[in-house]
Amino acid sequence: MIDVRGVALGYGGCRILEDVSLTIRDGELLAIVGPNGVGKSTLLRAIAGLRPVEAGSIVVQGRAIDSLAGRERGRIIALIEADGPLPDHMTVSDVVAGGRLPYRPWWHWSSTPEDRRAIDLAIELTEIEALRDRPFAELSSGERQRVWIALAVAQDTRVLLLDEPTSHLDIRHTFDMLTLIRRLVAGGKSAVVVLHDLNVAAAFADRIALLGERKLLACDTPARVFDELLLGRVYGIPIAVRREADGSVLAFAVAPARSR
Amino acid sequence: MGLRRHRAPLFAVGAAAIACAFTLVAGAAVGAVPFAFGIVVAQIVHPDVSTQAGRILWDIRIPRVAIAALVGAALGMAGTLLQTMLRNPLVDPYLTGASAGAACAIAIGIAAGAAAALLPLLAFIAALLTAVLVAALARTGAGLSHERLILAGISLSALFAGIVTLVILLSPRASTSLSILAWLGGSLAGRGWADARGAAIYAGCGAALALALAPTLNGLRFGETRARALGVDVERAGWGILASASLLTAAAVSISGVVGFVGLIVPHIARRIVGDDARFTLVTSTLIGAMLVVLADAVARSIAPPLDLPVGVLLSMFGVPIFIFLAFRHRVA
Repeated sequence: MIDVRGVALGYGGCRILEDVSLTIRDGELLAIVGPNGVGKSTLLRAIAGLRPVEAGSIVVQGRAIDSLAGRERGRIIALIEADGPLPDHMTVSDVVAGGRLPYRPWWHWSSTPEDRRAIDLAIELTEIEALRDRPFAELSSGERQRVWIALAVAQDTRVLLLDEPTSHLDIRHTFDMLTLIRRLVAGGKSAVVVLHDLNVAAAFADRIALLGERKLLACDTPARVFDELLLGRVYGIPIAVRREADGSVLAFAVAPARSR
Repeated sequence: MGLRRHRAPLFAVGAAAIACAFTLVAGAAVGAVPFAFGIVVAQIVHPDVSTQAGRILWDIRIPRVAIAALVGAALGMAGTLLQTMLRNPLVDPYLTGASAGAACAIAIGIAAGAAAALLPLLAFIAALLTAVLVAALARTGAGLSHERLILAGISLSALFAGIVTLVILLSPRASTSLSILAWLGGSLAGRGWADARGAAIYAGCGAALALALAPTLNGLRFGETRARALGVDVERAGWGILASASLLTAAAVSISGVVGFVGLIVPHIARRIVGDDARFTLVTSTLIGAMLVVLADAVARSIAPPLDLPVGVLLSMFGVPIFIFLAFRHRVA
């Protein structure tokens, strides 16, 4: 469980988010959505304990995040950022093995049988057995994302934080990725996922947190967050919402009529 | 499974260790008076200084080979540490300003008439002080800025190089200028057991710290943010790596002067052989560094005896073309 209370975040004296409060329960998938630059990734990093908050508190599994030492934090929270430098000359299993770093004291030069079990299990769960000995840098975007998730699974944490895990992925790989995350959540983990695609968020998340206007505007089920006026105001374009008979919702940007 | 996966790099490390041992023996055998391999090995197993061979080997050759190995090993390891931390394959251990600081102190020391026996200690202290100054300039909050580290190292090195040139130009005696130039050329001539002992202690401390940091270095290969998320204390790791690399470099510079390119090239060769796992790369770069300098020194001593060419100059002649190749390939990539 993650408890975010009255959190304010900023860069160099400029506040980008004020008074954000939300709770993520065990076995829940929360999607964070909002326009570019609104502070979605910054909030995720703060929850991961990698950014100090300017006000408020973040409590993960009953412990204040800023009171945790690095390795202890790494055993509770896994953060996956798709962007960033690629590890050079590493095979897929080397990358997945990185997930065991928080469990390894500095004098341990090699992996324990428990590490190897966790790595094997992560590779099996994420269905990347065939990639195991491939160089990481040679994989496609979709394969790389699966490997990052495998690293987080090997990390064996209760909390998964994922920053845009579907960027650069086509519709099929996006579906596969979110199905995989859903499966991990069904196993009892809680996940916070930053997403750009509102409909993907609505299809897979239990709740959606909508950030905009420097605050948390809504945090509720997709059906409640998808309000045409609210979404239109946040994104600054006309947005239409379609509600299906089964309760699911879809949001579309309304394109201006094309003149011939 | 773990052993199976690591079998190839372990095999390569073993092969490098055997090749290194072979090179050390060969280094001791080569010289103005060449010895058969068997004689060198017999002397190492059962030292006997009552014979002429024993005296030559134990008083001159073996200390010289040991110092060459120490210098190469220390520079190879320091290069691997800094290249891995800065994620930059064109970094060499002198980036910390260690060699320029030491050169400046040596130039002033020689010009002021300091005793030759004091020079290694003077170089060691100056190298370490310069590294501390560069680290202080690169400090941001609790951490270390990589950009500032590179800029501070390059700027201070340029400043000290300027002072060295000034000392050489203003020196009234040609012998002073020649002594300074010989030191800058990187030479092992005239070094003995006493010099090796002091440097070995500091290099040993640096190497122990480096090996302790090997798993952390592997964490840093994921990039800074991911490493932090995996529980790596990036700030502390940065200081530890810099301290270890500075100790190793200062120890090497104190006994050999400026031996260039070893710290740049050796990590590349090591990675080519054992891959990027810092545990294997650190050990392999130590072995290959030792091998490279022992070989270069053997050539320097025997190319035109009794002339003893500066080993640094010889390595530069091989090193520059390789450096240009690496830089060019990097730019294309």
